[in-house]
Amino acid sequence: MSDAVHLQGTEDESNSSKLKTIASRFGIHIFLVALIVMSGIISPAFLSANNISNMLLQAAPLGIVVIGQAFVIILRGLDLSVASVMATAAVIATGFSGVNADVPAIVGVSLAIGAATGLVNGLLVTKRDVSPFLATLATMIVLQGFRFAYTQGAPSGNVPPLFRVIGSETLYGIPYNLMLLAVIAVIFTVVLSRSRFGREVYITGGNPVTARLLGINADRVTIIGYVISGVLASIAGLVLSGYVGIVDNWVGRGFELDSIVAAVMGGIALTGGRGTIIGGLVGAAILIVVFNAVLLFGMPVQLQIIIKGLVIVMAAAFYVRRSS
Amino acid sequence: MEQTSALGSFVRRNRGLVVVVLLLIALLIFGSFYSDRFRTTSNILNVFEQSTGLALVSLGQTLTILTGGIDMSVGSMISLLSLLTSGLIDGKANLVVPVAAGILVLGALIGAINGLGIVWLKVHPLIVTLGMGALLQGIALLYSLGPAGKVPPNFKFLAYGKVLGLPIAAVFAILLFIAVALFLRYVRLGRYIYAVGDDHTGARLMGLPRSRVIIFVYTMSGICCALTSIYLVSRFGVGQPYTGINYTLASITPVVVGGTLLAGGRGGVIGTLLGAYLISLINNVLNFMDVSTHYQLIAQGLIVIAAVSIYVDKRKRI
Repeated sequence: MSDAVHLQGTEDESNSSKLKTIASRFGIHIFLVALIVMSGIISPAFLSANNISNMLLQAAPLGIVVIGQAFVIILRGLDLSVASVMATAAVIATGFSGVNADVPAIVGVSLAIGAATGLVNGLLVTKRDVSPFLATLATMIVLQGFRFAYTQGAPSGNVPPLFRVIGSETLYGIPYNLMLLAVIAVIFTVVLSRSRFGREVYITGGNPVTARLLGINADRVTIIGYVISGVLASIAGLVLSGYVGIVDNWVGRGFELDSIVAAVMGGIALTGGRGTIIGGLVGAAILIVVFNAVLLFGMPVQLQIIIKGLVIVMAAAFYVRRSS
Repeated sequence: MEQTSALGSFVRRNRGLVVVVLLLIALLIFGSFYSDRFRTTSNILNVFEQSTGLALVSLGQTLTILTGGIDMSVGSMISLLSLLTSGLIDGKANLVVPVAAGILVLGALIGAINGLGIVWLKVHPLIVTLGMGALLQGIALLYSLGPAGKVPPNFKFLAYGKVLGLPIAAVFAILLFIAVALFLRYVRLGRYIYAVGDDHTGARLMGLPRSRVIIFVYTMSGICCALTSIYLVSRFGVGQPYTGINYTLASITPVVVGGTLLAGGRGGVIGTLLGAYLISLINNVLNFMDVSTHYQLIAQGLIVIAAVSIYVDKRKRI
């Protein structure tokens, strides 16, 4: 009898812990759904096809950056240079004659700059033992200097029409840039969760010593992670240039912090070794919904920033509680 | 003989500081040969005076970094506090003292909230202070979207005034740095700052008041931001919602150039002061060389890369 009671007790415990696991595993998804439902109740315009299409259109650049940031953060790093890479790519998008024939050249140069920035970041972090924060801060400043020198402070020129289509138009209500995000997300989710490289990323981020003992070339994995982040940031910059149409030196400003915030909210721990791309994208979606709702509810735009600040800290606190 | 070995060990222990001092001297010599106007007393005093804002905010930043943390809210805090300084004084001379005192208290309060957040929520300082930064920037923009208020003409004295031919704000900064350096060396709480940064677990095991130390350093950082804000308003005559935007990242450069490790536990404030002078001097020399500010940015980034490559940090942390 006492055995039975005891068993009953453990079953209850396992049930409640299962519930806890579900809550902590899908908490952020539930939060996103609740946020959308609440926003829809407060303002029916929020759920109008027009507004949803609008939000989806804005989601792609942030989503693409978050995917790269996810790799770096899982590898115990941080990439502050993404916004600078985005702005540089956007400036390059207008640096040619503004016709579709330039697209291959623009894409080539932008991706090369993104990859080179990532390579420098990765080399500094692995070979010189520079902290990721400072390494990416330094490349961010250097790149910003080159950009200003290149544009002489005032970029001009037009984005090729093809970028405008990809960045700001929709097919049957689905933005082209969202399709691009989906393709990138699927590719990198497969890379991260199904490939050997993906496993090496998690192991290296989780415990570099274990990685070395397992014969993983941790430096190489880390460098590739930063290169992925740089390349995706340059793609995001091109997409964003197509969305805004006119480019200045600060396109993408704030994306470095927003992408880190989205990743952290999505459960990608700053301590490394944990998190998924889907989580990061859910985090990005929450940010987009919050920004949109603030404006739609007629609140002052400054509240966006304040709410972002509060959400950052609360989300991080939530995950710390969970892991401890 | 004994003296040379003592000198030798000082150089070994403070290799970074020696490099910064040598760079400062090299730049002074180079600038003097390059331009007649550079080597005038007024130009050197000008560099000295202009370094004050950066030096003050970096002082607080050094303390947070020594504990292994970082304060990413300094830029927004300076924006908000300088906006409030000119906005609340609004040209009334009799309000200068109470408002300045209030700004100092407010800076300390915001810093203390940062510290409490880090201790209570157990969240990485980077995230807590980023959140605080966003919060303060939002409040600053709610308060005013443009420059707000004005200050009486004699408020300028704080930044531009001279005593015995020396700019008072810059001299005040030096005295403050020396005071903090002595505090770090001789006061128990000051030495605890190093202990907390050196090894978090070790510090807790030894029964160090880790929470108190953390709240203290972020409070100090807030006070330093308030001082910077008052200085900047005195210099520019008015506060703006984006006055401080560049200071968040700029405040970290003198710290790392001065040899304080981002992982915490090692370094000091004198290096930071020299780092702030070095950056002001580099910008001044580049100005004389007619190098555009765009390339000054590149130079600054390369300095950070060079500095962090010199002080190799084996205990990597964010």
